[in-house]
Amino acid sequence: MMETKAEIPAVESAETDAAIKSRVCKGGKFLTFFLDEEEYALEILKVHEIIGMMPITPVPRTPDYVLGVLNLRGKVIPVLDLRTKFGMEKVAWDDETCIIVVQINDRQVGTVVDKVSEVLDIANDDIEDTPAFGTEVNTDFILGIGKSEGRVKLLLDIDKVLTSDELAELNAATAPAEA
Amino acid sequence: MADHAAKWTRSLAAAAARARALDVGDQEAVAELGAGLEELWQSVPDGLPGVGSLMERCLYGLQVLYQGGIAQPADLAAAISEALAAMLGVADGSNAAPNAMLREADRLETLLLASEHERGMAGTDGSEAPAAGEAPAPEAVPASLDDVASRLVLLEGDATEEWTLLQAALARLVPGLPRPVQDVLAPACVDLASFLAAGGDGDALRRELGGALEQALLLLEEGGPANAQRRRPAADAKPATAEPVAADVDPEADHVESELPTEIVLGDDADPEFIGEFLTESNEYIEDSEGALLTLESDPQDMEAVNRVFRAFHTIKGTSAFLGLDAVSELAHKAETVLSRVRDGEIQFTHQYADLALRSVDMLKDLLVRLQDRAPGDCIPLPADFANLLFDLMHPESAAVDPSTKKRDAAEAAAATPRADARAGMEAAAGEGAAAKASSRIESSVRVRTDRLDRLIDMVGELVIAHSIVAQDEVVDEGRHHDLAKKVAHTGKIVRDLQDLSMSMRMVPLKGTFQKMARLVRDLAVKGSKEVQFQRIGEDTEIDRNMVDLINDPLVHMIRNAVDHGIEPPDERAAADKPRQGRVILTAYHAGGNVIVELADDGRGLDRRRIVDKAVERGIIESDKGMSDTDVFNLIFEAGFSTAARVTDVSGRGVGMDVVRRNIESLHGRVDISSRLGRGTTFSVRLPLTMAITDGMLVCVGDQRYIVPSLNIQMNLRPERDNIATVLKQGEMLKLRGDLLPLYRLHRIFGISGAIENPCHGAILVMDDGDVRFAVLVDELLGKLQVVTKPLGNLLGRVPGISGGAILGDGRVGLILDPAGLSNLARNCQSSGSECAGAVGAVT
Repeated sequence: MMETKAEIPAVESAETDAAIKSRVCKGGKFLTFFLDEEEYALEILKVHEIIGMMPITPVPRTPDYVLGVLNLRGKVIPVLDLRTKFGMEKVAWDDETCIIVVQINDRQVGTVVDKVSEVLDIANDDIEDTPAFGTEVNTDFILGIGKSEGRVKLLLDIDKVLTSDELAELNAATAPAEA
Repeated sequence: MADHAAKWTRSLAAAAARARALDVGDQEAVAELGAGLEELWQSVPDGLPGVGSLMERCLYGLQVLYQGGIAQPADLAAAISEALAAMLGVADGSNAAPNAMLREADRLETLLLASEHERGMAGTDGSEAPAAGEAPAPEAVPASLDDVASRLVLLEGDATEEWTLLQAALARLVPGLPRPVQDVLAPACVDLASFLAAGGDGDALRRELGGALEQALLLLEEGGPANAQRRRPAADAKPATAEPVAADVDPEADHVESELPTEIVLGDDADPEFIGEFLTESNEYIEDSEGALLTLESDPQDMEAVNRVFRAFHTIKGTSAFLGLDAVSELAHKAETVLSRVRDGEIQFTHQYADLALRSVDMLKDLLVRLQDRAPGDCIPLPADFANLLFDLMHPESAAVDPSTKKRDAAEAAAATPRADARAGMEAAAGEGAAAKASSRIESSVRVRTDRLDRLIDMVGELVIAHSIVAQDEVVDEGRHHDLAKKVAHTGKIVRDLQDLSMSMRMVPLKGTFQKMARLVRDLAVKGSKEVQFQRIGEDTEIDRNMVDLINDPLVHMIRNAVDHGIEPPDERAAADKPRQGRVILTAYHAGGNVIVELADDGRGLDRRRIVDKAVERGIIESDKGMSDTDVFNLIFEAGFSTAARVTDVSGRGVGMDVVRRNIESLHGRVDISSRLGRGTTFSVRLPLTMAITDGMLVCVGDQRYIVPSLNIQMNLRPERDNIATVLKQGEMLKLRGDLLPLYRLHRIFGISGAIENPCHGAILVMDDGDVRFAVLVDELLGKLQVVTKPLGNLLGRVPGISGGAILGDGRVGLILDPAGLSNLARNCQSSGSECAGAVGAVT
């Protein structure tokens, strides 16, 4: 994996859709945001928009990281709390807390983050594979680690976050109850 | 003149002598004889009927000889010589009987035809052959049936020579035609021969021959290229330059395939999007043409209806051919051909054609369904009937013996003339249709994707909310800024108009559905040998487009019920002093924010006694004590309930009415029955204008608000202490007028903190979900409202107890409770005995 990536010239940073869809971590434009002290990066093409905090209606009997649903200009979209999802402690929301609305295929999902930082280019050469931390640390949601301006950004695999097992289980658990 | 004739006869005698001695291998001699005959042919004296045309055949024969390449040149030469001799016999009076000439002409013709076949097979093109000055093209002989027909039209009744010419042409053409065509032409040919031999009424012959030719041409046209090819060589073998008409290539012949397709093959380059559009478009056309066909059946003179159907088939044919859907275009083409004859007034549109056309429509529908969701490269088998239908379309006159019609005929025989009456019954509808036709103008429209439309409606909804937030802002509201308030109010009016408009964009008239029902009534009436007059009222009533498809099923069952069970057979009706013809009236109108669809029949009516007996027998009820008529009639909606003495393939299985109620309730609607024994039954279906809008009650529990669908709320109350009973200290019951209902606390089910714990301080909603009744404790009822239901998004999937979300007046999302899910959830919680509060995320 790594070898092939290294061979691709860095100029390739202008990405195609297909490249993104292939979910091979490549360089390109990323939106970075903070959770606690850590800086995460999200492929910019998956970001639909960024909105400030707004009233969220809790949905009963859903996992704790599902904050609920909100009204995005007439559309009801679910909102996840990334802190809870990643096992971080909850903090009070402030002016910088915001919701990144991610669009994958035809569905939109809001994700609450501490604050958004910037949009930056990360070249292929600056992306490294996620180091293995053993079983202690779950790095399923991390595509790779990008280096930029001497800082480390965790490239988030948002698809995986949104299709994680817990939600699948939730849906599966729901189905028989409906029947 | 006499001199000329004598001279001509001498020349002919010389030519005949030369022909007798002709050496078929000697091209020069053949050419010389040809030149001589040409001269003779051009100067045939008057009074020698048939000589010209025979001479022409001889010329042609010589031409063939000249070109060579035939198996038996000597035979041909001998025939030519004999023909010349026969002509000579006529010319010099030695043998005046034209029969000899005719015989010779036939013989010559046969040989020529054989030679043409040979040369055709050898691939020699006869048209290139003759050198200039050689035997010229015998242009006068018609080369195809079309030519014969056009010649016939120009023919003078007593021009014997022309008749002979025609006969020669027919004699040449007929053997090459397919057997059925030959059969059609044979009697006319015989008559023609006897006419030439003995004379007679030329006009009568012309009419006969004309009719036969027309039929033959039609047969050929429908018979496809196999026949077309067979008649083509005759034309091709002629010198093409001299035969302008022979070049008339039947455009249809190329279109049709010689073998019937057995499947549709989607090409690899088939564009699913194109096909999708084609399907949508075609379905509309088909629906329209179905309506038009029904109109047409009652009013065969309605040319506009014919044209509508014609256009539909034509468009489908064009598009499907473009998409390479051969079978579809083939079918459409055949149907179009039949209809074009109706349009041109060639045939009367009788019920036999109506059946055929309706069968075509059904087949098209079937094909279109099969085409749905296919990938490029797929092979789609054709329905088994396909070939039969095509055949019937090709021979519409004989299609009357198709099985369905046979059945119908039997039914007809059994029930006097129900058909004619049934058709007369359609007239009311048709009259209405005519009125509508007069008033209907073509409205231009734009096809918009539904998701865009939904989005627009969403946005308008948001605009309304945003506007109300502005309007309620204290700066606007406090009354100091009068101008601003005025401007905001003005904007408000525009926003409301916009909202109305956007809601109306989803609405479509019920017309299409009603038209389908007309078809159904017709078919059912015929099948059941009933006489039914079907009336549609208010078919322009609009309803949400999502609901249009959904009310189809219940309506079908109701109509089946009405026609099959409701309307009596004509004799029974007559015996009961009712008009033989039953009436079924389908009505739609708006009332109080609902759409009401009523189906009334004047048939038997519901028999309370029988329903009660049946219900008791089935154990649905014990007795009818205390049951109102409505209660009793509602029993027919129970699953498996049927009072029909016998089960037909249409109804009586007791499935129908059960489906009706279920479907209508799933549409948030209600169905009522009123009936008088012997007078008829009326089903009244009350539906909300749109599925998207739910009538609900806003309730609050702790700091949360939920919407409970009004449909599921039976009542609400504030209980007394005594009304609550506990079971094993776990389950709670609500005593309500002697009934015991399980009482669920919403805040416990959903794990909401800060809610009212004491039932006597809160509010209790008695909800029902089908047969299950239960009570739910909430904090407070906030009021009624109408909301637009929206899904919570794929990510969450289905959340138990919640059916969706809705945007509330303040722009927040409110969750809509799902009573069925809620009671399931509550039961599960109680049975497991665990604390059932699910995890709730951080509170806003």
